[in-house]
Amino acid sequence: MNVVEIENVTKTFGRHVAVDDLSLAVPQGSIYGFIGPNGSGKTTTLRMIMRIYHPDSSGGHIHVLGEESFQAANDRIGYLPEERGLYKKMKVREVLRFYAELKGRRDFHQAVADWLERFELTEWSDKKIDTLSKGMAQKVQFISAVIAQPELVILDEPFSGLDPVNTDALREAVLDLRRSGSTVIFSTHDMGVAEKMCDFIFMIYKGRKVLDGTLESIQAQYGQDTLRVAVDGNGFDPQGIDGVERVNDFGRFQELRVAPGVDTQSILTALMKHGRVTHFEQTQPSLHDIFVRIADPDSEENGDA
Amino acid sequence: MRKMLVVSMREYVASVKTKAFIATIVLMPIIMGAGGVIQYVTRNKVDTNDKRVAILDHTGVIYDAVTRAADERNTEHIFDGEGDERRQVRPRFIITRAEVSSEDPSKTELALSDQVRSGDLFAYVVVGPNVVEPDEAAEGDTKSVTVRYHSNNPLYETFRRWIARPINDQVHQIRFASAGLDPEVVDKATKWTGVEQLGLVSLDEAGHITEAQKTNEAANMLVPISMMMLLFMSIMVGAAPLMQSVLEEKMQRIAEVLLASIPPFQLMMGKLIGMVGVSLTIATVYLVGGFIAVTAAGYGQFFPTHLVWWFVLYQALAVLMFGSLFAAVGAAVTDLKESQAMMTPVMVVAMSPMFVWLPVLKEPTSTFSTMLSFIPPMTPMLMLVRQAVPPGIPVWQPILGAALVLLSTIACVFAAGRVFRVGILMQGKGAKVGEMLRWVVKG
Repeated sequence: MNVVEIENVTKTFGRHVAVDDLSLAVPQGSIYGFIGPNGSGKTTTLRMIMRIYHPDSSGGHIHVLGEESFQAANDRIGYLPEERGLYKKMKVREVLRFYAELKGRRDFHQAVADWLERFELTEWSDKKIDTLSKGMAQKVQFISAVIAQPELVILDEPFSGLDPVNTDALREAVLDLRRSGSTVIFSTHDMGVAEKMCDFIFMIYKGRKVLDGTLESIQAQYGQDTLRVAVDGNGFDPQGIDGVERVNDFGRFQELRVAPGVDTQSILTALMKHGRVTHFEQTQPSLHDIFVRIADPDSEENGDA
Repeated sequence: MRKMLVVSMREYVASVKTKAFIATIVLMPIIMGAGGVIQYVTRNKVDTNDKRVAILDHTGVIYDAVTRAADERNTEHIFDGEGDERRQVRPRFIITRAEVSSEDPSKTELALSDQVRSGDLFAYVVVGPNVVEPDEAAEGDTKSVTVRYHSNNPLYETFRRWIARPINDQVHQIRFASAGLDPEVVDKATKWTGVEQLGLVSLDEAGHITEAQKTNEAANMLVPISMMMLLFMSIMVGAAPLMQSVLEEKMQRIAEVLLASIPPFQLMMGKLIGMVGVSLTIATVYLVGGFIAVTAAGYGQFFPTHLVWWFVLYQALAVLMFGSLFAAVGAAVTDLKESQAMMTPVMVVAMSPMFVWLPVLKEPTSTFSTMLSFIPPMTPMLMLVRQAVPPGIPVWQPILGAALVLLSTIACVFAAGRVFRVGILMQGKGAKVGEMLRWVVKG
């Protein structure tokens, strides 16, 4: 069963087409990652799923949890918008109680305590929001989105601005939500997170769907065309090597995209002339690389995604 | 419905717990009380320096009488208190005789004016030669039949008012005497009769006709004024903060999360209900406080108990009506600066009764007052004023007025709900009035 079904939906703002003839199905119990450059239509799509925006009336449909409703408010959906804020003068516990009650939940005290404990916020529970650090506030916001145990959780860039410890805590929490039966949709700019966490990845670019599927199926489209190499020696530049289409230089190692039909052995030989080869691996392109190939095809440098 | 209450509870607690609210509720009576105390303390702080006034008496029969009257006043009527507490609270009037100092009358007056300018005199009075016998004056010679008071201090009227009486008394006596009338007979014949102000008589429950009450002018004025001021204040305390509250949700990006849980109209209604609660809290504190204070002071019978429910009704409706407009403004703008311009028209409408209440208070049953009190934004305050002035107005009037207010409130809330729904998620730029109207119409 699909929790979200989007069929041929278009959304325009004035003359700008934000989302163009989009179809998408999110299966129950999955973690679905939305990626795409800034301004490509991720948030618009999420907002349409939330019914905050209504799609153009050109025949498309959006079914969420089996309903085609026209109202944003839904107690079965938890939502963490990209632009987020909390009442600054309220205490952490009061904010969470407010959102739990607003979602129609009555027995929330234990859940609030558990979530605060989980995110190490218990000692902050009687502090006002404006005394919290940014990371803590973001965790409080995440709790407020999931406190009512929603069936569908929609998180717009939940990981942005979090340190690794908090990122791990949040990732654990998202995985637990899935384990307890919720479906999770989140958008992210962190390709590593998307690769590791998402059952399905959806990429939107200029309002159009460009990728949709499991990581493996997406990578399979591109084949084993990538070499990850490390070579000792200063001033190493693999740029000029025959058969290398493109170089992503990460500093300590490089990713080389191999032109179709080129024997990787010849590249290894060329590399060895530059210095001692300490790492040589033939692999699928990373999601990051795929992203950059789509979103920034002309660049020879790392995309700024 | 439950969600609406959740929102209104939050709104109520958030407003009532602020320092600003506590300050309002505590400080307002203190400020008002301090104003009263200052007025009471300074009420006798008038200049008690002697006022020297010269009289240029062309009749020759007025001066002595005025001097006698001034002496009597200076010894009897310028003090307050008894025994040890007796102290002078008004200036003494020192009358001096001015002489004609020149052939040219205008030069004499110039000399007197110079004395006033230099401070030797406070003022001078010229009594025309024909004041006693105006019939003997030449045609058109007004100067000779009038008394003129010249001073450099046009706002000080006390002396001018005072001197009219001794002059006229003296003139009358002379005229009576020359007409051969006995002063005693004249005194009896012209004895002054006062007019007392009373209310109406009515039947009590036992069927007896009650004595008319002495009306208390202060109570008749103070009750309507304080009811109206309290209503105005509690409306403003309840309605105006909604603008800021909505704007906060918009600027702090709280609105989007809220709308994922509660439909926009319910969100707005919840906030409105919360603020009605805030407003009623303030009013309750003051009404109860006022009742206690008035009863303790022994004026319990003037407390308008019969109007309390009307007060609460008007207040709730007015907070909903104006509050919804403020909420719409908050949703339509994107920052505080923008909101000021948008607030002004709402503010002017809300304050409009303050510009016209005085004529309504003086003549509550005039056509003008009646019509004004049926204009919905003015009804809560003006109808309340009309009801508070004895003997009140026919009961259908406040009922009709409240019904009209209710209709306008529904219209305002409906329109504001539409503006709110669209505006609350708009970021970047504020809406223009035209756009807002389009949202209202198109929905």
